[in-house]
Amino acid sequence: MGDKPTDDAVFGGRPVVAFGRDVDRRNFLRWAGLVGVGAAFVVGAGAAPAFASTLAPGQSPTPSPSPGGGASSTGDLGILNYALTLEYLEAEFYTQGLAANVVSGREMELITPIKAHEQAHVAAIMATVTKLGGTPVAKPTIKFPDGTFGGRDKFLQTASTFEELGVSAYHGQVPLIMSADVLGAAASIAGVESRHAAILAQLTGGKPFPDPFEQPKTMSDVLAAAKPFIS
Amino acid sequence: MSTLRDFVQGKTQVVSAPLAMEALNTRWGLATAADFGSDVDVLNYALTLEYLEATFYQQGNAKNLLSGQEQTYLQQVQKDEEAHVAAITATVQKLGGTPVAKPMVQFGDAFSSRDKFLTTSHTFENVGVGAYLGAAGFIKNKDVLVAAASIFGVEARHAALVGNLLGLPAEGGVYMGAFETPMAKDKVLAAVAPFLASQMGRMPSGGVDTGGGPADTGPNTALIVGGAALLGGAGTAAYLGRRHASDTADSANDS
Repeated sequence: MGDKPTDDAVFGGRPVVAFGRDVDRRNFLRWAGLVGVGAAFVVGAGAAPAFASTLAPGQSPTPSPSPGGGASSTGDLGILNYALTLEYLEAEFYTQGLAANVVSGREMELITPIKAHEQAHVAAIMATVTKLGGTPVAKPTIKFPDGTFGGRDKFLQTASTFEELGVSAYHGQVPLIMSADVLGAAASIAGVESRHAAILAQLTGGKPFPDPFEQPKTMSDVLAAAKPFIS
Repeated sequence: MSTLRDFVQGKTQVVSAPLAMEALNTRWGLATAADFGSDVDVLNYALTLEYLEATFYQQGNAKNLLSGQEQTYLQQVQKDEEAHVAAITATVQKLGGTPVAKPMVQFGDAFSSRDKFLTTSHTFENVGVGAYLGAAGFIKNKDVLVAAASIFGVEARHAALVGNLLGLPAEGGVYMGAFETPMAKDKVLAAVAPFLASQMGRMPSGGVDTGGGPADTGPNTALIVGGAALLGGAGTAAYLGRRHASDTADSANDS
């Protein structure tokens, strides 16, 4: 357990995501700003300096809307694209991990559906963004650090950290989501991520139920943890 | 609480229901609004289920049917359910309601073997997941919704782990698909009815006179002190969805 990755550096701090199109990176920044993380990522010195250069002159992140008050559906689109990016990452993570053939037997049986779930989440969120009149963020180019899938332990421990991050990410968005249907959909996804988290904790000798109540993380905290994914 | 007004009064209906994902909309197969008249009603409904679960694990774990890691896991599940009981009780009190009394329970032969204990547990936990998701749409206080979500996720963890202890198929036993499915109250009650020895008539109602006065659990255990969580949003979602549907289709019923 000693080498279990932490939330602060899921992939050892190395960049694993590169948006394939500059427009997607700009969109990422735009919605990040809309939901309040822009200050942390664009303005924040050193947090992600590259981000600042992608903003057009005069373009600045929109201040965070107060929870439940006054934000338009643009905020939901931002949150959905945030969730979509995380789901892209998860789906790709399991796709590559399963292809690496480092798990077998019951473990393989338990991990295989997770990949399908994450893919279903990607599809559902994309459809929702489209129905809301938005543009789903494109799948980023994802490069996991060497060794991520080099062995059973590393794969599953990284997965465990990833799932816990995902759970807290969804729970952290509740106060900010405006649309009834977006909230409902997100809840039905979050419960499944909780199941994943419990099973992966069990498989890696962690705590399947670390607390009687799921804990939220703000988008800025999640993005800080996910920073290594985003180059 | 500052955001409550916005949700309860429907100011957040920015996105109309038809715009959002139809496939997932169909999952909101909720009970009728008549099932829950207030947040206290919903909380007392949840409290009864949590009492049932907590008592189930207290009795089951005392039978020493498990050992090793399994035993440790189920002991933690018991502690979680006890924490849920305490938190919901405190929340009902904070809202000025009266927590429903602990129901009389009867678990039959559920503790006759390790397999039966875990199989019954698996049922309880999955029913709990569906119950929270199904009832959330009737919660009006956003803080309560947020708290309910944080419990919902943990019940899902329990369900998955116990399913795995039983060696059930990954899909359909450990996981129940890519999306959780809400369960209407009548189905929840039908599922747990065999275990409730009394109180069936009053279970769903709020403000039940328990005759004994609520325990003083202290305000710091109240749900609304807890952190944010997703089902809170979900509850708001379904609630707003219903409001919206009512407002547009039959405003006379919802105003």
